[in-house]
Amino acid sequence: MGGQACVSYGAAEFSRDVDLLLLADGANLSRLETALDDLGAEPVAVPSLDLGALQRGHAIHFRCQAAEGIRLDLMSVLRGVSPFPDLWARRTTLELDGEPIELLALPDLVEAKKTQRDKDWPMIRRLVEASYFDNRDRPTPELVAFWIEQLRTPELLIEVAGRQPESARRSERPAVRAALLGNLAAIDHALTEEQARVREQDRAYWAPLRAELERLRRVR
Amino acid sequence: MLPEPRHPIAIEDVAGPEWGEWYRMSPARRWAESAKLWAQYLDLGGSLDPEPDTQSPFFDAGAPGSIPAHGRAGVRLIRRGGV
Repeated sequence: MGGQACVSYGAAEFSRDVDLLLLADGANLSRLETALDDLGAEPVAVPSLDLGALQRGHAIHFRCQAAEGIRLDLMSVLRGVSPFPDLWARRTTLELDGEPIELLALPDLVEAKKTQRDKDWPMIRRLVEASYFDNRDRPTPELVAFWIEQLRTPELLIEVAGRQPESARRSERPAVRAALLGNLAAIDHALTEEQARVREQDRAYWAPLRAELERLRRVR
Repeated sequence: MLPEPRHPIAIEDVAGPEWGEWYRMSPARRWAESAKLWAQYLDLGGSLDPEPDTQSPFFDAGAPGSIPAHGRAGVRLIRRGGV
């Protein structure tokens, strides 16, 4: 769901860890523990692997000694994103060397990347740009709606508003309204405000989880 | 209503030439190229630990420092040009 997915969708060149989203239930946890044993996975931070921690939205961090020491982060709940069964139903599957690679669908990945961290926002921009350039000559209603609500490139927002004005006029997004006027400065301003608002939402979401992590670190 | 642009915006105009080239690759090609970068990174002693990120909810100021993949000194900046 993380860097490897961003590589696949064109927004990153490289990731040095692996982030997996999984269904947090008892049977799956048992299978997961077997897989972690195979990888020589050792926990590297709090919390430890626990169904409740996953279901509350925590990430569980491992280093895999049997796989070059690679870091593995597991989550089950992502802020602002649908529950796991819905994400699984609409996932993207790549086949590489005969092996299936299951990825978050692009719109879900974009939502998951809307965090409080600076580094995620250029990634969102590239994820949507790559989708736009790859598909703008064969747009579907779903893609147009996705671009209108998620593009963070002012010039492309103006282009898509020009090509799809009816869809753009239905949007309540301030950046799209500015795009319909062709006003680059107003788009920039709207995107900055949009980002600040969402980052604040992410900080508020994580506040109780961070407090729990601090408590766990003190008793570690 | 805005007029239809006569010429669609080129990838390079908003993303630059390097990202333009990356966007044009297939996902499988990107994985292959990324795997090459991964191998080079490990050869150079790059660390597999996350970079400290104080904005991350997982940031732990008391966590031990990162360890290079091969145990030697990791990649570090020894000279920076102009900027």
